[in-house]
Amino acid sequence: MEAINTQDIATNDLAWKIEYIPERCTLCGSCVAACTFAAIAFVRVDLPHKKTKLLIRQEPSLAHCCVGCGVCEKLCPSQAIRPIANPHSRQHLLTSCSGPARRGGRSNLQRQRTVDALLVGRISQMTDPSLDAERHTFDIKAPLGRILSPDKLPLQRIGDTLTITGKTPPVRWIYPLLFSDMSIGALSTHAWEAIALAVAYLNEVCHIPVRMSSGEGGMPMKLITSDKLKYMILQIASGHFGWDRIIRTIPHMPCDPAGILIKIGQGAKPGDGGLLPESKVEHHIQHIRGVPKTTLHSPPNHQGLYSIEEAVQKMHLSLHAAFGFRVPVAIKCAASSTSVAVYNNLLRDPYNICGGFFLDGVQGGTGAANTVSLDHTGHPIASTLRDCYRAAVAQGLQGQIPLWVGGGIGMTGQAAADAFKLICLGANGVFIGKLLIQLLGCVGNEYGRCNQCSTGQCPTGICTQDYRLMMRLDIDKGAEAIVNYVLTFDSELRKLMAPVGNSSLPVGRADALISTDAAIAKQLGIQYAC
Amino acid sequence: MRTIHTSTKNQRISTQELLTSIREAVEQGECDFVIEAQGQHDIPGPLWNSQGKALHITVRNPGQRVGAMMLPGTNVLVEGSAPADVGWLNAGGTLIVKGDVGDTAGHCAASGTIYIGGRAGARSGSLMKHDPLYKAPELWILKHTGSFSFEFFSGGYAVVCGCDCEQGSVLGDRPCVGMVGGVVYVRGSVGDIPQDLALLPLDHNDQAFLNEGLDRFLRAVDEKHRAPLLKDWEVWHKIVPAPKQELVRPSVAQYRKASWIPGGLFADIVADSGIHAPILGTGLHRLRIPVWENESNTCLDCHKCALTCPRNAIERTQDTTLTYTADPATCIGCGLCQAVCPNHIWRLTDAPPLVEHLPGEKGRCVMDNR
Repeated sequence: MEAINTQDIATNDLAWKIEYIPERCTLCGSCVAACTFAAIAFVRVDLPHKKTKLLIRQEPSLAHCCVGCGVCEKLCPSQAIRPIANPHSRQHLLTSCSGPARRGGRSNLQRQRTVDALLVGRISQMTDPSLDAERHTFDIKAPLGRILSPDKLPLQRIGDTLTITGKTPPVRWIYPLLFSDMSIGALSTHAWEAIALAVAYLNEVCHIPVRMSSGEGGMPMKLITSDKLKYMILQIASGHFGWDRIIRTIPHMPCDPAGILIKIGQGAKPGDGGLLPESKVEHHIQHIRGVPKTTLHSPPNHQGLYSIEEAVQKMHLSLHAAFGFRVPVAIKCAASSTSVAVYNNLLRDPYNICGGFFLDGVQGGTGAANTVSLDHTGHPIASTLRDCYRAAVAQGLQGQIPLWVGGGIGMTGQAAADAFKLICLGANGVFIGKLLIQLLGCVGNEYGRCNQCSTGQCPTGICTQDYRLMMRLDIDKGAEAIVNYVLTFDSELRKLMAPVGNSSLPVGRADALISTDAAIAKQLGIQYAC
Repeated sequence: MRTIHTSTKNQRISTQELLTSIREAVEQGECDFVIEAQGQHDIPGPLWNSQGKALHITVRNPGQRVGAMMLPGTNVLVEGSAPADVGWLNAGGTLIVKGDVGDTAGHCAASGTIYIGGRAGARSGSLMKHDPLYKAPELWILKHTGSFSFEFFSGGYAVVCGCDCEQGSVLGDRPCVGMVGGVVYVRGSVGDIPQDLALLPLDHNDQAFLNEGLDRFLRAVDEKHRAPLLKDWEVWHKIVPAPKQELVRPSVAQYRKASWIPGGLFADIVADSGIHAPILGTGLHRLRIPVWENESNTCLDCHKCALTCPRNAIERTQDTTLTYTADPATCIGCGLCQAVCPNHIWRLTDAPPLVEHLPGEKGRCVMDNR
């Protein structure tokens, strides 16, 4: 018999245990064949009297640990196998013995979201009748671009008509739900295409002007040389991946992109950069990003930027100029205690070119980050947003640089409620990322299920460059789920706008909100109710 | 016949005093009234004669809700105009207003008839409905209505004759929103109506209904001279709920075939672009592949692998040498053969990257050609 030592890893040390009922097992092999993590295998056990028995065994190994994705359970014809979370897990400890643990997904520390302590508490009834959510015509649009204050508008009264006498910054009025920032590389080509397809469908069939931020992983040439480019916000981050090709393609673009988003930081791992290991730089990634097969670094900072002022000047001015001053340029940072200072600086904006301030909160997702960053860095979005909005109001500059917020939007399934509350706190719109891949079929969650985006072994074909796994994702079905969710989001948003009596988005209408938490109410400057 | 003046010595009597005196008179058998009102509301309200005789009430200068909640047998004639809510919740009476009326005329009327010899205000005819136990309500308007007319209209007949309304919509802006039943007849132009409604020409039944009804209506409001003009059916339409039509969107798959970038976003890089396969695959789609490695020639030829394989994928051949192979067409790579083999001859290996097997010219980008 093989000697077992106390330090040897047992399945009871792992975060997920396989519950297996041999009496039900038909030995069909589906679960073992489909497990991307090779966490289970057939074994033959010898019984007395030279008899043998075939069983499925969980691998007692960190390299092949079960992650709880549940593909085995999904495929099992007889409910003989399933993963269950192990409350006695020592996995995090054991993993840390071989260097910092990395994972994807979101924080597992279960921080409560501020929006969950808010209610839409001011309901129009007698004095200001509520609207009819089904039949009223709502104006559900948010700006992307620099809005000039009325006194700065180049308008002149000539006779009885107002005439525009000068240029105004480009502004796009788009849907307040933006699909955000997941690169080709972080996502499989199938997943990325499914999201892009859903965007085009929502625009062209449903007439909902949803826009998608590309993430920084290069752009498919077939997309940026097509008229669907108008739905895309091109992201530029510190690695500038794919940007030489985007620049070379400018002469061939049939239309302008919807915007440019300069990514400075990310809510899930503020102050941390990104890295795509050489092993995952598959040939199609090389071609999309325009890189050789090598490890790709996105440093935590833009190497060429030293100050907020310079960021505004260099990045905004240059990208604005590159696209003929016709495309709004916005900037995205992780929410931070310093966000208000940054926003105040942006508000000074002497060139009238900052087309939006995107703030990403602590509950934002990521394809890969050190677990310690995911669990212990970041800043809640609600008070950051509120402080920025109130800083602008104090200067009479609200609405001039649109505020877009994200990070955990739709975490409890109802993105419309989250969006509505954050809009009432001062946001012009919200952006979602993780929610989109969950709609595509991602099974990851905040309770430690899967979250293997960093390993390339994604069982749903979303965060992987392995074509064998990618093909598991049905692009049409995935896009259909996103489309249907957005249509539900749209009607739910109306259901919240109608009772407060707003035909257009209630940006900054914090009087519509109450909080059942006194500290939150005080910090956000809204009514406390109990 | 009783005439009630509502002021004595410059003192206006209250609505309560007026309505109470009308009710008392009705109880005493009076059936005909002329009321010189001064804005008293709800004239006359629900009234009835115990012997079922008809009541006739002529009113000048009424307040709001004249003709509201009328019972069958009550006939109210307003000489001149009336303010808001005329005929509100009409339960079977007849109201004639010779002039214009304010907002929400006929609101929630469920039976009876309302004739208006002028214009009607906003939200007129809203929520009219037809109680199936009784005759359907009717609302006739000589001229035009304000905006948001006939909202949530669910039963009965509304007729808007469009007189003196040469410009703009006869029904104001956003008419008939939420209308689910009944018929709105309209003469003249109508603005946009919701997509779930239909604007149709009149058929013979419609013409017969209007032909007879217009005579009654025009006689009631002293506008008989307009009959020839109004009976030109070519300029009439009716608005009714459209036959229920499921708004069918194309599926995303249909949209992709018709309107998406041909071949998909990545077709220039990988020929796969867009192929979908189920979780469990055979052939190239297997994650792992069993290999029969009988190098040490220790295979017992016991057939256990072939007998245990859930897919019957293992074939045994013996030409010159003994060989077991797993048929890629059916093998899923579960490794049961490896587990069952007494001499460990089967080995489950990781499948090579699928991209090596994809068809097409790999790595070609559009930019490479420029």
